[in-house]
Amino acid sequence: MKPPEIDWQKLNTLIESRKTEQWGLIPLLQDIQKAFGFIPPESVEPIADALGLFPAQVQGVITFYSGFSLAPRGKFVLRVCCGTACHVKGGRSILRLVQQDLKLKEGETSPDYQFTLESVACLGACALAPTMMVNREYFGRLSPPKVAGILNYFGKEAQEEE
Amino acid sequence: MKLPAIVCRGGSRTAPTIKGGGLVEAITLTINGKTISCNPELSLLDAALQNGFSIPTLCHHPDLKPFGACRICLVEEEKTGRLMAACVTPAAQNMVIRTDTPRVLSHRRNIVSLMLAAHPESCIVCDKGNRCRLRQVAANLGVGEIRLDPMPSDQMPDQLNPFIYRDLSKCILCGKCIRADHELVVTGAIDYSFRGIRAYPATIQDKPLEKTGCTFCGTCVAVCPTGALTTRSVYKGVPEREVDTVCGFCGVGCRLRLGVTGGLVIEANPSTDTKSVNGATLCVRGHFGHDYLNSSKRLTRPMIRKNGDLEPVSWEEALQETAHRLLMLKEQHGPKSIAFLGSSKCTNEENYLFQKIARSLLKTNNIDNNGYAMGRRLLNCIEKRTDGSGRFHFFAGSLAGLEKIDMVLVIGADPTHSMPVMGYYLKRGAVKGIPIIVVDPRKTELADYSTLWLPVRPGTDADLIHAIAALILEQKSHDISFVERFTEGFRGYADSLASLDLTQICKKTGIAIDSLKKAAALIGHKKIAFVVGDGILKQRSGLEAVEALLNLAMLTGSIAHKGAGFYIPAKENNMIGAWDMGTIPDALPGRRLVDDREARMEWEKAWQTELPAEPGMDLVHMIQAAEKGTLKGLFIMGENPLRSLPQPERLQAAFAKLDLIVVQDILLNETVSNAHIVLPGAAFSEKEGAFINMEGRLQNLTAAVKPPGDARPDLDILITLAQKLGANNPPATLTQVRAEIGGVLSLYAPTARSGQLVWIQKRMRGGSTIPFSPIRTCSQEQPDPAYPHLAVIGSQRYHLGSGTRTSQSARIGAFNTGCGIAVAPEDALKWDVTDGDMIQLTSVVGSLKGKVRIDKKMQPGLVWVPLGDNSNMARCLIGLTPLMDSDSPGWNTCPVLIEKAEEETI
Ligand code: SF4
Ligand code: SF4
Ligand code: SF4
Ligand code: FES
Ligand code: FES
Repeated sequence: MKPPEIDWQKLNTLIESRKTEQWGLIPLLQDIQKAFGFIPPESVEPIADALGLFPAQVQGVITFYSGFSLAPRGKFVLRVCCGTACHVKGGRSILRLVQQDLKLKEGETSPDYQFTLESVACLGACALAPTMMVNREYFGRLSPPKVAGILNYFGKEAQEEE
Repeated sequence: MKLPAIVCRGGSRTAPTIKGGGLVEAITLTINGKTISCNPELSLLDAALQNGFSIPTLCHHPDLKPFGACRICLVEEEKTGRLMAACVTPAAQNMVIRTDTPRVLSHRRNIVSLMLAAHPESCIVCDKGNRCRLRQVAANLGVGEIRLDPMPSDQMPDQLNPFIYRDLSKCILCGKCIRADHELVVTGAIDYSFRGIRAYPATIQDKPLEKTGCTFCGTCVAVCPTGALTTRSVYKGVPEREVDTVCGFCGVGCRLRLGVTGGLVIEANPSTDTKSVNGATLCVRGHFGHDYLNSSKRLTRPMIRKNGDLEPVSWEEALQETAHRLLMLKEQHGPKSIAFLGSSKCTNEENYLFQKIARSLLKTNNIDNNGYAMGRRLLNCIEKRTDGSGRFHFFAGSLAGLEKIDMVLVIGADPTHSMPVMGYYLKRGAVKGIPIIVVDPRKTELADYSTLWLPVRPGTDADLIHAIAALILEQKSHDISFVERFTEGFRGYADSLASLDLTQICKKTGIAIDSLKKAAALIGHKKIAFVVGDGILKQRSGLEAVEALLNLAMLTGSIAHKGAGFYIPAKENNMIGAWDMGTIPDALPGRRLVDDREARMEWEKAWQTELPAEPGMDLVHMIQAAEKGTLKGLFIMGENPLRSLPQPERLQAAFAKLDLIVVQDILLNETVSNAHIVLPGAAFSEKEGAFINMEGRLQNLTAAVKPPGDARPDLDILITLAQKLGANNPPATLTQVRAEIGGVLSLYAPTARSGQLVWIQKRMRGGSTIPFSPIRTCSQEQPDPAYPHLAVIGSQRYHLGSGTRTSQSARIGAFNTGCGIAVAPEDALKWDVTDGDMIQLTSVVGSLKGKVRIDKKMQPGLVWVPLGDNSNMARCLIGLTPLMDSDSPGWNTCPVLIEKAEEETI
């Protein structure tokens, strides 16, 4: 599978709609991230032009927030927690398991754009440690079988889509 | 009736947000036990520095907004025990501050230790050496051993370009480079990427600098406290000593700090002089181009052509021969057979003595300099309009005005390239919200910062200005009281504006009526700063456009108002000084006209001799006279006409007819190769004297090194020559020359006192009104079907003018300036060419080949050819026509035929 094609017309409409807005940059980046799953690097210059910023400034904002990404991400973004509580409860091993199963390293996206793996430093649900998230869904008290189940479930879901 | 007097002060640059001055009530506080009083707008840091306390800083710079990134400037408030960063904390009433308690020092040590732990081990061989602020701060705090696990960064250096070495493993994230890039030079090539431990100052997509908008101004290098950003150089280490002087390139007149080792200038940086025009900024030429000073092409010995070859001779022989042959020519063919080409790159004193030799010893007014092509017509025009009495009314003076004025009209000028530091002023103004209108057939870089860009058809600017004036008048948004009090002939002017056919003008200029209305709305009720460049001064119908602009300035009352008026980019460092010192055919020093009997008598008295009364030949007429055979001898000081003037073959032929060509210069250039006698002079860094910048600021040079070999300071050469030409009792030293100038022109007397800021401008003589001039429309050029396209010739920042000196800079030579011939994408398609292909441009007078660069900002039908590149080939296209004549096609654009050229491998 190829990375998603960029619909420039859609992108331009999004940019146009925030052009005159004060402090419009972050809302605009959120729009684009939501619509495309990432912020196409080619869009940085048009965004900067439209908002009267330097491209480097726009890139600075995109790279500052982990919610924005300059590379296409998978349909399912897995965030495995490596924060203190999860670390104590074996979060590292969970991460290793996921890595092995998906054959991905941290920050990588599978070639079929189904999965992206990230590690984070606390999901704010320490009582459920060790934890991870898939897109906006939380999974707590993880154990190897539970992880296998989750991966299996989303793997199937991914296949059905095709 | 008097024109409003204006006060002129030295330029203060971008104002930092925390600053002193003003009428607010002072506050008192205690620092290290001493009670001080200060302005409440000051930061604790500034309050402490002003009172003689020192606090270390790393991320603070007086020209940049406070940032508070490094925390090394921590101080302690005794009453609360709070630690705070002095650079971002405002001073407050009754504070009790300690700058050096054990607690403060221990925190500072920890901070430096952490920075050093993240630092690579290559500190010992770092070119920042002892100038590294991090090293200084660590040493002062006694931090030698770090006792932390080293965790050096793995950033790889960017070392692809010949100017800047970027080794971000040494970056301490002070953000100065980024702030300088955004706040001072407004380029935006870099900004932070990521955050926390991963943060670094990044280019877009981590591209090397040359692939970003970076202009290689080097400002980030100058402010970087560590070795993260350094100048690439063949010389290693820190210079032995540093000398402050003035940049030798353009008329902005930036203050430079030259680093000297072993009698050679090895680097240039902005000086720390707070009153300088440039502050912490420079441009690529000033910062990195001065390595031409050590070029192997420097002239080191006097030479005389014997049997066809230039052979080294003694100074005695060279000067004796020069004097003898000049006097012979005068004897045999009369004074008018000799001409003198002085220099807009030489000092005031040199130009003064040069024209004095021509006028008083050889009795000729055939004197000119390269400023011929750069705005003298405007000056003459203003001169005429104001009867010689109020010429300075129209000139704005300090560049700082560009950041304070109501609005700016940039017409036919591309200052971000031709005079980059002036470009920074304009861009900073735009960021502050000053509207800019750019009138230019090309979408220049500045157009991106403008409120309105008017892509006028070349040569029709006058009509455009008339139309805007007509619309302003229609809205009654002109300065009625100014017009009533200080002008005459308004009725006639207004009537002719009212009778203009705007539809016709829109057609002629290619600008829609809506755009004209927008422009008029932007200008109405405002005072304007006019930036007028080559697109007017060297263009067909330029005279008409200048007249139109003067009328518009009067209509809007943009005269003798602070910041308003004309800013004429002086492309060369001492263009103004060369004029003022009389290196022009029609005026004596002090810009008094030669045919003015009174002025002549004044100088006749000073020089104790009779002076010729008839104005002499200008540059172009000199060449024409050489062609005709009436000119026999030419003495050239510091100019390279064979590279800079149009039609090189024609020039070569004209030069071949001359009996005598004497060239006094510093580099073996095109003109020197054709000389009969060569006198090796000194570069700006090797002599004393004064330059006047485009603002009218008189600045003294300081010699940093000696001239190479037997070369001599130009003033010494001229003094000896004057003696050999039989001058009785000529001035024999720089001081004596200055005294002589100051004796007649008190305005220039302060030259004698060095080290202070002196302005040459604004001598108001009130009492008169200024007439509007009748409106004249542009002559329409008949399109020639054989040359259907239009080539626009323009400056690029990597070369100064024709590039005689900048092409000898090893760094600029090693850089692919990426200029090429700019072509609109539509045209590229039509001619079936793409980036890097060769095309041939043919005009009526000549042709050139060059590489295509597709540029989205170009308009179809236009191509842009850069000056300076490729031995300044652009000059082959244009005809050598007198610029002052109203039917001259100008030197700025020319009709061409464009064809795809045979592939060549270069
Ligand atoms: S490169 Fe230099 S100026 Fe820029 S942030 Fe790093 S240390 Fe500061
Ligand atoms: S050299 Fe000038 S333009 Fe380039 S990054 Fe540094 S400050 Fe910006
Ligand atoms: S060339 Fe001009 S703008 Fe550049 S540093 Fe020199 S004086 Fe300044
Ligand atoms: S540490 Fe993992 S959720 Fe808080
Ligand atoms: S100098 Fe004050 S925080 Fe850096």
